[in-house]
Amino acid sequence: MVLDVMFVFRVLVFPGFTFLFFFTMFCDWIERKIEARMQNRMGPTFTGPAGILQPFADVVKLLTKEDIVPRGAKKTVFRLAPILSFSIIIFALSFLPIDGAAVIPNSSFSGDLIFIMALITLANFFLFLSGWASANPYGDIGAARVLTQFLGYDIPLFLLALAPAFLAGSLTISAIAANQYLPFILLAPWAFVLFIITLQAELEKDPFDIPHAESEVVGGLETEFCGGKLAFLRLTRDTQIVFGAALVVELFLGGPYGPVFFGPAAPWYFLWFVLKLLAVVVITEYVTCLFARLRIDQVLTTNWKVLLPLSVLSLTLTIAVATWIYPMVT
Amino acid sequence: MSPKKIDMLSILQAKFKGTSVQVQPEQLGKAAIIADASTNRDVLKAMLEADEKTAVIAITGIDLGATLGVFYHIRTSKAGIITIKVEVPKEKPQIKTISDLMPGTAFDEMEVTDLVGVVFEGHPSPGRLVLPDNWPDDVFPLRKDAKLDNLQYKQTPPNETEPAGNENIVKIIVGPQHPALLEPEKFALKVEGEIVKDVQPRIGYVHRGVEKAAESRTYLQDVYLVERICGICNACHATCFVEAVEKILETEVPLRAKYIRTVLLELNRLHSHFLTLGHAGLEIGFETLFQYFWRDREPIMDITEIISGNRVISSGMTVGGVRRDINEADIPKIKGMLTTLRKTLPFYKKVYEDEPSIRMRMKDVGTLKREDALKLCIVGPTARGSGVDIDVRKDEPYEAYGEIPFKMITYNEGDTWARMNVRMDEVEESINIIEYALDNLPTGPFRVRVPRVVPAGEAVNRVEAPRGELFYYLKSNGTAYPERVKVRTPTFANIPAFLATAIGSNIADVPPNFVSLDPCFSCTDR
Amino acid sequence: MAKKNGKKSKSSVRPMVRALLSNLFKKPATCQYPFVKAEVPEGFRGRQVYNIDLCISCGLCSRDCPAKAIEMIEVDGKRRPLFHLDQCIFCYQCAESCPRNAIMSSKFFELATTDKSSLVVKPEEKVQKGNGEQQ
Repeated sequence: MVLDVMFVFRVLVFPGFTFLFFFTMFCDWIERKIEARMQNRMGPTFTGPAGILQPFADVVKLLTKEDIVPRGAKKTVFRLAPILSFSIIIFALSFLPIDGAAVIPNSSFSGDLIFIMALITLANFFLFLSGWASANPYGDIGAARVLTQFLGYDIPLFLLALAPAFLAGSLTISAIAANQYLPFILLAPWAFVLFIITLQAELEKDPFDIPHAESEVVGGLETEFCGGKLAFLRLTRDTQIVFGAALVVELFLGGPYGPVFFGPAAPWYFLWFVLKLLAVVVITEYVTCLFARLRIDQVLTTNWKVLLPLSVLSLTLTIAVATWIYPMVT
Repeated sequence: MSPKKIDMLSILQAKFKGTSVQVQPEQLGKAAIIADASTNRDVLKAMLEADEKTAVIAITGIDLGATLGVFYHIRTSKAGIITIKVEVPKEKPQIKTISDLMPGTAFDEMEVTDLVGVVFEGHPSPGRLVLPDNWPDDVFPLRKDAKLDNLQYKQTPPNETEPAGNENIVKIIVGPQHPALLEPEKFALKVEGEIVKDVQPRIGYVHRGVEKAAESRTYLQDVYLVERICGICNACHATCFVEAVEKILETEVPLRAKYIRTVLLELNRLHSHFLTLGHAGLEIGFETLFQYFWRDREPIMDITEIISGNRVISSGMTVGGVRRDINEADIPKIKGMLTTLRKTLPFYKKVYEDEPSIRMRMKDVGTLKREDALKLCIVGPTARGSGVDIDVRKDEPYEAYGEIPFKMITYNEGDTWARMNVRMDEVEESINIIEYALDNLPTGPFRVRVPRVVPAGEAVNRVEAPRGELFYYLKSNGTAYPERVKVRTPTFANIPAFLATAIGSNIADVPPNFVSLDPCFSCTDR
Repeated sequence: MAKKNGKKSKSSVRPMVRALLSNLFKKPATCQYPFVKAEVPEGFRGRQVYNIDLCISCGLCSRDCPAKAIEMIEVDGKRRPLFHLDQCIFCYQCAESCPRNAIMSSKFFELATTDKSSLVVKPEEKVQKGNGEQQ
């Protein structure tokens, strides 16, 4: 009986759904504040202390608005796709060790790295469906762009994630996180840098912002959504950012593991996880502010002509270095 | 290559000796040519043959009582404005089009048809331009006998159905409400995949009938009316209008007033260029650049506030001079702000030149070749980015520009990047001009008294607004109210450039292309 | 041309790279109105100040107003101007046309209100205060 309560608590409250929801809000606030300060302006300031409640206020506002389904839209898909994409991302997050153990304890299985990558693809596919299901040319173009873009970066992302897998000798995320005697960012820095760039594409941030470029396609795939469904689409995007950053932390930065100074280990692991994740969020936000948005054909050129060969090269280099050079050093 | 001095008037006088075409020098600008409906095309052809840089600035439609006047205002290279005056009878107001000779005049002719009722035979795409689609067919607002109360609106015609054709072509409508546009206009893009195949413009959403309204207000009140045609180039509109009135009155404005007017005009230019440069950053998704440019635009508005009392609409001009003097005690503060502004320029210049994502989005986007720019009568930084060196401040110096040294900036590439760079460099020139003017401000009065009643006459005037050449034609009839005020704004002349360069480009290139010609739809529609 | 990694070609993105980092630690450029009062210079065209002692009831202000925002009303047997601030464009042609300088501008600009009837400057009081106190 005690185990069941623990299970429910972990899944629903901490570090499960409730915590992830609020943590996403917090990361969104950090993002907006950092972006604002880099642009020499204030960012959210007045909702809550230093504006920390602003993302939460935005979600609440959207939930109170009228929710319209356009007449020509494919209604079931239109209604379900945003919620599905959000839940898939939350589900994927529950496999990552956050305080030393995953949300669902003992849930990791061999090969769950591949499973999680497949989940990202599925979530993006549901985003595409939501744009396609709205009866709007802007939605169609936005959806087509989402699909085109993730067709491009999916493979490089996968190949780059294999580099830490190889270094750790396992395809299980919790094993990769636990086996980092040195964080893999030091052992395979090229993979880390390329992973961050490919992550920008996956998270649809500048310079790969094209699926929701307001100046061209109004709202892209979000155009016809309003009210609760738009809240879910926005939450999906924010949660994807947390998920991407968490993946980077697990794969390259040593996961939640770090020095434990006193007392039980779990709170310290949690603290290290949060700090590392925030660092990655700040880095991705910095890259976002640094660039303009590329056109879709330029995105495709970058993906297929630059990222893909470089990621193959990175994997080869990692294997070569790990097989021959590191055993000589350690 | 230095332009040959072409004596257009002697060429025309020689060619049309003995015909019904009369050349009247020193009338209405450089010269007025009286022609009729059968000879106007011949005169224009003769001018085009003599000088390749001939361009039609505007076509004015005017109600002359028994007849309708169609005046073609033509710009020749460095020779001033020549006006061809044609009259057509009111019962049968028809005239042959000139849009085959100069494609850039298509919009001008449509506007004359809308507002005065002259039909241009052979026009490629007749239709409503500035008036709404359900406007009654027989009411022409700019005619003196137009009855504008109790209009019987027609039923709005239904949207055109697409002929059954290529299913791959999707119609995307940009506007009237669109995040890319600051003001409402409709551009229906026909898109195949990501390539734009066709663009259908519909302007007139912000038409407020300013030209008609100007006829029922005194000259003094009209200064404030025309100022509000455009928020950003407000001083340019006011200056152009008061200069036209002063030409009819033959008033000489004191030198101090000319310098103060120059300062206000250049502040408008700075404001507008910073706004566009930032807006261009927004259109290509570079929000950081947008925020930085608009942050640095604030001191410009502060300087305008110190000089004129308001941050944007300066209301500084009046017939006979400027309304208030620059306080000598403020000048060090203004110059300090300008120095701070000047220090930010190398950063922006470097970003525009070196930043790879800007180069990828702006280089070779929306390229307009020099010949097309000349044929389409493009003006302003859009033309100067394609190598056409026209700038009213150099061609026909007004106010204090004849005495202040500055460079005209041209780039030859003709793409979006070139146009933005023209504006970047013009910012530095503007700061130089303002500092020179403030350093060398002459002493003396800043306005002279003028009579309220303006004697009968007509005048044309042009001014280099931030977006290009702004043209006014003013006719007075001896009362305190003007007879006709015709405004041709630079964006009105530049929209054909957008239409020509958008076809064949990507959808994603449409916003930066569009912003690079710096559209101001309040100006376009008046 | 495919884009190289922005971080690697540091020489070409250096201005923006540095600017973003340095702005992170600077004070924002925002003026925190309304908690920080916005400073306006002398000569700012705010709400009108009307001096009834100098007025000679000529009506030139009303005649010259481009926005038709001045209405001449009867006050104590004389014609006085009533300024409709919801029509006014704050051009101050009225001040220029007035032969006795009875109309001056003030620095008061916080005119937004939910009560339209307060958007007038009435000629009834003897001398109106210029700092925006409501009459």
